[in-house]
Formats: sequence, C-alpha cells, structure tokens
Amino acid sequence: MEITLTHYLILSTLLFAIGLIGVMRRTNLLMLFFATEILLNAVNIGFAAISRYYGDLTGQMFAFFVIAIAASEVAVGLGLLIVWFKRSGGIDLTTMTSMKG
Amino acid sequence: MIYELFLILPMMLIVLGALMLMLLSHREAPLNRNMLSVLILALAFGLTLSRLGEAHSVFVFEAIFGRSFIVDSFSTLFDLMILGGAMLTLLINHDYFKSRHYFDGDFFALVLFAVFGMMALSHAHELISAFISLEIASLSIYALVGYNSDNPKSREAMMKYVVLGSLAGALFMLGLALIYGATGSTELGAIAAHIAAHPQDAHTMLIIGGFFVMVTLFFKIGAVPFHAWVVDVYHGAPLPVTMLMASTFKIALFAVILRIYLGDFAALGDFWSLPLQILCVLTLIGGSFLALSQSNIKRMLAGSSVVHAGYMLIALNAITLGNFNASESILFYLMSYFISSVGAFGILSFLAAHEHKQLTFEDFKGFGYSHPYLAAMMSIFMLSLAGFPSTIGFLGKFYIFTGAIEAGQIALAALGIFVAFVSIFYYFRLIATMYFYDTPKTEQHFGFDTTTVLILLMAILSIWGGIGTALLPYLPTPDALIELSRHAITSLD
Repeated sequence: MEITLTHYLILSTLLFAIGLIGVMRRTNLLMLFFATEILLNAVNIGFAAISRYYGDLTGQMFAFFVIAIAASEVAVGLGLLIVWFKRSGGIDLTTMTSMKG
Repeated sequence: MIYELFLILPMMLIVLGALMLMLLSHREAPLNRNMLSVLILALAFGLTLSRLGEAHSVFVFEAIFGRSFIVDSFSTLFDLMILGGAMLTLLINHDYFKSRHYFDGDFFALVLFAVFGMMALSHAHELISAFISLEIASLSIYALVGYNSDNPKSREAMMKYVVLGSLAGALFMLGLALIYGATGSTELGAIAAHIAAHPQDAHTMLIIGGFFVMVTLFFKIGAVPFHAWVVDVYHGAPLPVTMLMASTFKIALFAVILRIYLGDFAALGDFWSLPLQILCVLTLIGGSFLALSQSNIKRMLAGSSVVHAGYMLIALNAITLGNFNASESILFYLMSYFISSVGAFGILSFLAAHEHKQLTFEDFKGFGYSHPYLAAMMSIFMLSLAGFPSTIGFLGKFYIFTGAIEAGQIALAALGIFVAFVSIFYYFRLIATMYFYDTPKTEQHFGFDTTTVLILLMAILSIWGGIGTALLPYLPTPDALIELSRHAITSLD
C-alpha cells in the first residue's frame, strides 16, 4: 500500500488528539508541557507532509520555526515551573486555588 | 536598502534597548531603568511619528524575508499606539515601581521585548511571522505576569496563563497547517488570491484552519468561551503588567485580527458572520456577568475588559458583512478604551503604591472625601468606560453601534446598548461607593508627580474626546483620529 498525504494527515490529527487529551486530563504540570510538545510536533508532521505534497520547501522551513518556538516555550515554561516548585513544593495543577470567581 | 533600514529602525531600537537593559540589569549603579526604557520607547515613537500621514506600503527586505513583513500606514498607526501605550503604562506606574522592590532591570527588558513582539505583530503580513511575533509577546508576558514570585497569586496567574496560552498557540499552528494545506501558502496576499480564484464552497479546509487561527486570537483578547483565564490572570499579575495586557497587547492583537480579516477572511463573510455573532452575544453577556460578580476593583476592570472586547467584535462582525467603515470604529474604540482604562488602572496603581491596599470596593468608601481630586478623575474614567455622553467612551460606542446598524445588525447593536446600560451598574457602583459613605479619614494632600500628572492628562483626554470639538475649535478633534484611522485602513488594500 502506498502511503499518501492523507495517511500523514491522519497521523498528525491522531497525535494532536492525544496531545489535546493530555492537556485536558493531566494535572501534573510537567506532563502538561509534554502534552503541548506533542501538539506542536503533531502539527510539524502535517507541515512536512504538506510541503512534500506540494513540492514546496517553505512548509519544512515552518517546521523548523515551530521547533524553535516549542523549544523557547518549554524553556520559559520550565523556568517558571522551577519558580513554582521552589515556592509551593509541588507541581500539581489542583493546588492552584487561591483565586476564585 | 537604507530606506528600508530606516523603516524598521524603531523596531531595532526596541530590541537593542531591551538587550542593553538586560546587560545592565545586575549593575548596582544608581540607574533609573524605568526612565531609560521610556526614553528608548520615546525615541522609537518619535521616529515612527515622522512617517505618520505619508502613504506608504513596503515589504521590508523582500529579497531576504519574502513578503513576511510589511511597513504601511496601517502598521505605522498601530506602532504609534503600541509605543505610546507602553510609554504611558511605564510612566503612570512611576510611583508603583518605586514602592516595590522586585522591579529590577530584567522587568523592563521583558517589557521592551513584549513591545517588540507587539510591533512585529502589527507588521506581520504572513501567518508564520504573525505566530512568531505573537509568541515573542506572549512569552515575555508570561514571565512578566509571574514576576512577583513572592506573591502566590502572581505565580498562580502565571501558571494558568502559560498552560492555556501554549494550548492556544498549538491551535494556531494547527489552523496554520490546514490553511497551508488548502492554499499552498501562508502569505496573506497569496491566500487572498486563492480565495478569489476559487468558488465560495471550495474553501472548507481553509475555513476550518481560519477558525483555529481565530480561536487563538480570540483567546488572547479574552472573548467568551475562551475567557477562563482573564480575571485570574489580570488579578494576579502586577498592576503595570495588567495595564500592558489590558490595553497595549489588545491593540496589537486587533492589529493582526484586522489585517487578517480585511485582507483575507472578509471575503468569506457568509461563513464568518454567524460564528462571530454567537461569539459577540456570548462575550457581551458573559463578560457582564463576570464584571457584575466581582468585589475587587482590579477583577471588576478585568471582567469589564471582556465586555469591551465584545463591543469591538460587534464592529468586526460588521466588517464581515461588508461594512468596511467599521474598522475605523475599532481603531477609535481601542484608543478610547486605552485612555480610560489606563487612567483607571493608573489610579489603582497610585493607591497601591501609597497605601498598600487590596483595592476592593470596601477600600473606596469615603474616597471622595479623602482624595477629592483623584475621586473626580476616577469618576470621569468610570463614566467614559460606561460610555456616558460627553466622554470619549461614548463616541467610541457611538461609532461601533452606527457601524453595526449600517451593516444591518440591529439586534446586535441593541444588545450592545443594553449591555452598556448593565455596565453602568458596576461602574457607577464604584462612584457611589466613593461618594455616599462618610469616612473618618481626613483629606489627603494632592501632590503633583509623574503619576498624578499623567492620570490628570488621561482624564482631560477622556473629556476632550467627548466634548473638545465644541469647546476648543483650533485643537485637533476626535474627527482627526477617525481620519487618521481611515487613512491607515486604506493602505491595506
């Protein structure tokens, strides 16, 4: 069987769904960051596949940009996570209840 | 070449200034970093101001960047609003910065990076560069929100914003992949050409992709159903950051929304109108409930900022129905909201700097007697935010509702007017609290310093925007602002 653009897009959608479920269900902040990584990389697969389909290199260039952005997001996110852990001793989302309304 | 360098000089100045502040951040020298960053912003503002009014539309360094960054009259006007907004935000918080120990050099470097991201956002003519600029601004603001890491509220707000914001960013990328798949390009001009070349019903994938992109942008402006973070983040963030997010960041987001809409998506108006109408209704009503239920002034202003985003969505909807004049009313509304909200937040920051309070409605009891001048100005801002006639807020709402009626959206305009009446309740509650309670406190001396002078300036601007036309015939009037916005919009097509 030949693997076509559709297969890649389905893979990308599946990975995106997995990441989305991760973001919604996980309460551990580290796992949440993993889940957002999965989301961005799912999109990367889509970009690379579409770029191959069109024979146009810009899509792969975008994938590199996305990798860079994902890296900087995690860098900032982990930095903030360390601050959070130092002050509150845990990285669980359910402890964030000081503000309501 | 040199001319193009001159065009992007303001943006370069901001980045270089940010890097410089970062290098200086741990020096012990007696250095007023706030004034230094204001100076950098003012330089960039002056450079941009020299281009105001001349019609131009240039893709910067097209050989290198392709058509991803554009400098045109539209971006010039937005640059001015963003730079001016950031400048006023930093200046009006002068007292607040002095009263808190945690504002060191990094803080101002991050503010400048955020401003750079916002400026790049208004220049983006391509969805990838729009996303990168959005992330530059957002990442800086994530760090700014949690800047006071000793305060658990600030930390919590930061974590909520980071988690939800990165999810929204991923949705933007998904939408972008779909748009790229449908059109083979992410450049706004190429997408517009694609839409024009194909029949209306062949755009399913493009519409779904555009929907995801819009979800992210609506998330950032805090439209209901994507508003879950707004009140908590605005409350937890340090006051200057709340001001920056509520006014300046919103201006930049509307820059990119308007550019995408007027360039591309307005052509798909048949599809966009219905979701936007639902979004408007939800945002106006949901935001009102959010604002009504708060007892803290900062949270009340956060809730009401959702309602103000709703008003601008009414105008956006009028654009999708073909009334392109409505885009000027968005620009005018952004300015009027900026003036009144920065003034109101400025008074909060002044009080937080001098009296260290939580700033609930309770704290404002008898404020009219202890601080008569500030209370009068606060009343002006509240009237302007509520859209009371003779203030700039009234004119802003007036233009929005006329635009909606011209586009045939009578029901939405009526809902908007109804919500404006509801908003009188929570804004006037503050005025009533200030004046209708006796207080044992004695009258405080009203001193002139940077903060109070700027609050006064904002109050005068609010009134000037409403009635200045009649009183001072030789000064520029709000019509000049509208003229300016119209001029900027025409450079888009």
